[in-house]
Amino acid sequence: MLNNAKSKPNLKYCISFAVQSTFNVIFMEKQLEDLKAIREMMEKSTKFLSLSGMSGVLAGVTAVCGAAFAWFYLLQDPAATNFNRFQETLILLADALLVLTLSMSFGLYFSWKKAKKNHQKLMSRVFFTTLYHLALPLIAGGIFSLIFLYRGDIEMVASSTLVFYGLALVNVSKFTYPEVHYLGITEIVLGLLAAVFLNHGILFWTIGFGICHILYGLIMHNKYDSKK
Amino acid sequence: MKNIIANLNKAFESRVRLGIMSVLSVNAAVDFNTLKELLDVTDGNLASHLKALEGMEYVQSVKQFIGRKPNTQYTITELGRTSFQEHINALEQLLK
Repeated sequence: MLNNAKSKPNLKYCISFAVQSTFNVIFMEKQLEDLKAIREMMEKSTKFLSLSGMSGVLAGVTAVCGAAFAWFYLLQDPAATNFNRFQETLILLADALLVLTLSMSFGLYFSWKKAKKNHQKLMSRVFFTTLYHLALPLIAGGIFSLIFLYRGDIEMVASSTLVFYGLALVNVSKFTYPEVHYLGITEIVLGLLAAVFLNHGILFWTIGFGICHILYGLIMHNKYDSKK
Repeated sequence: MKNIIANLNKAFESRVRLGIMSVLSVNAAVDFNTLKELLDVTDGNLASHLKALEGMEYVQSVKQFIGRKPNTQYTITELGRTSFQEHINALEQLLK
């Protein structure tokens, strides 16, 4: 009977303790989620998070195809065709512009799809800010490269496009995923190497615009696209 | 731990209000529709939370017309900024 008298209050204390602990755990979890929600919302409203890794992969594949065409059709020794320098330059320019247009289209398309999947508009304020910060060095680099082309310094074009593209990526990386920053640095290094090894411009171009894009695209796709 | 709970601001208990304060604290001014998209809530829900936050003077609004369409821009007030920061600090203290 002595045992009975002691075990009842014990049970009450146990239950009360269990309820308290459960409440504490739930409470703490909510606070943790609140903090996470705050950080996520701050990022979401200031960064362009609809960038898709798939657009990088496809841009890379397009670039490799464009480079392969240029190499096998125009640039290798002995030449497969008999174009003069001016015609060659024109065809290379058209090739590069085609790769650029296709890459940008892929970029926009996959970003649009990703935004839609997350119930968001693609053309948000962050989108236009990102575009502006990307476009500035890109357009400057484009004009710079065209000047080289016009002067007949076609060897410098691969290098200058890579360097300016890398700078554009570094510039835009603060508005989007951090991987873009490292891709940018890679492109800058490749561009500088291309300026040193002037005869291998097409090789560095293929690595920079082709292989690097595929690599980084896959990494980003795995990291950011499958979740949510 | 019990006395730290007192620093949590009851006004920010709702996830929507947390979201509003988060967005406004890192953007100069945000309009109603952008907030609605970011937070993924209905017009009425957002409007009522914004009205409450405005009542507490954590948020202020400027109504204007863009062409013929009405446009309301929201900004965080100094009071709102400090209150929200205190709330975040309290949360982080709690989870240490």
